[in-house]
Amino acid sequence: MKKFLLSLLVVALCVPASAGLRQKQANKDTQNFRYEIECAGNAIQGTYLVKVWTYSKKASVAENQCRKNAIHGVIFKGYGGGQGCVSQRPMVNTPGAETQFKEYFDSFFADGGEFQKYASILGGTTETVKVGKEYKVGCTVSVRKDDLRKALEAAGIVRGLNSGF
Amino acid sequence: MKKSIFTLALALVALVASAQIKKPELMVIPSDVWCISNGYYTEIENLGTTVKVPNYKQALQENMGLKLAIAKLNDLMAERQFPLQSLEQTIKNLEQRRMEDNLTMSKAGNELAESPLDEVARTAKCDIILELSWEVKDFGPKHSLSYILEARDAYTAKSIGAASGTGAPSLSADVDVLLEEAIVANMDNFNNRLLDHFTEMQTIGREISLDIKVFANNAAGIDLESEYGDDELLDIINNWLQVNTVQGRFSMPYASENIANFTQVRIPVYDERGRAIDANGFAKGLAKYLKKEPYNIPSKVLVKGLGRAVIILGEK
Repeated sequence: MKKFLLSLLVVALCVPASAGLRQKQANKDTQNFRYEIECAGNAIQGTYLVKVWTYSKKASVAENQCRKNAIHGVIFKGYGGGQGCVSQRPMVNTPGAETQFKEYFDSFFADGGEFQKYASILGGTTETVKVGKEYKVGCTVSVRKDDLRKALEAAGIVRGLNSGF
Repeated sequence: MKKSIFTLALALVALVASAQIKKPELMVIPSDVWCISNGYYTEIENLGTTVKVPNYKQALQENMGLKLAIAKLNDLMAERQFPLQSLEQTIKNLEQRRMEDNLTMSKAGNELAESPLDEVARTAKCDIILELSWEVKDFGPKHSLSYILEARDAYTAKSIGAASGTGAPSLSADVDVLLEEAIVANMDNFNNRLLDHFTEMQTIGREISLDIKVFANNAAGIDLESEYGDDELLDIINNWLQVNTVQGRFSMPYASENIANFTQVRIPVYDERGRAIDANGFAKGLAKYLKKEPYNIPSKVLVKGLGRAVIILGEK
């Protein structure tokens, strides 16, 4: 009985720890640009529609990370066009901005951070593919890019079109 | 004490306000190719050749798509705190000015030689022209829209940037919807190019063109080859430009004894007192320099907007 309780305790402690580790790894992957972002069609005014592919050993972690990766991609990576889609360059295209404003971005991209305000996953768009030992999860995300740009302008990270005049 | 703090605050506000760079004015104009391919043009006889000139007024009165495109562009630019000048209002002002010019012409006996685009640009005093064109292409039952928006400096005619592309073929969407989609989808790329241009302007100065001319038979009896010590007047002007442009950036594509054209002149956006300057302020600086000893040359400065100035030497 004692042995059983001890095993149960170990499992109870290990499950959250491993979930935390996976989330940590997912955040690391985001920072290292280990995701794919592509145009998902023409969006309504003030938004971008992007398809993001995220990798994780746990499908639910990858799905949760989709919004973060979509925002990260719009800010730092940009995406290509084609087939009626227009390519977009990254919102922040100053080299080293990620390091220069590290404090801001650490808080912005923290779990449950401000990034959540600017992205929403379109229902019924999630695709999951098993690739080797991990999952590749694709979600279509609507990014409120005008509001996002305004937030970055207010933080002094990107210049407004009107700045200096 | 309170009074002195208030004065200091007022001075600071004034300093900040004066340190703002003069904001360029932007206006959307349908491109020549769009106007001509859609039948919005007038044929003019010019030295025995028939020239097709865009008729902006007709285009605005008859093409709903154009009005929609301009309204959409204005909406998107206003959202970025950069409202556009209205082409329609400019045309109305132009007609008023034409009426006045006609009266002046009958007295002077001379005709004004200006293209419609020059007239619009001058009347609107716009600094950047946004040329818009689009074309609908049919692929069987589907149609798609090709779209080009190009920004051009009104004074130097240099292209600042463009956004273009062809939308995905659609079975159901009508042209106005496709046009709106194209504008919305391409606007960020276009604004990025504008921003690059503004950043460059704030870093290496505003690009202007400067023309120096000489009044024929002027009272001062000078031309650009007049000598002052070892230097001709043109050399003196060149030296002044070398000192007063940003990093000595300018070029002189043409010069004779009566005229000198300076292009790609990079002027600082602020003068030595921290006030914003444009082509007019810069040209006045040169005119003042030439008015002083030992040159004593009177001159007239003509303003052509933020980016172009003409100095006519010899008389006021």
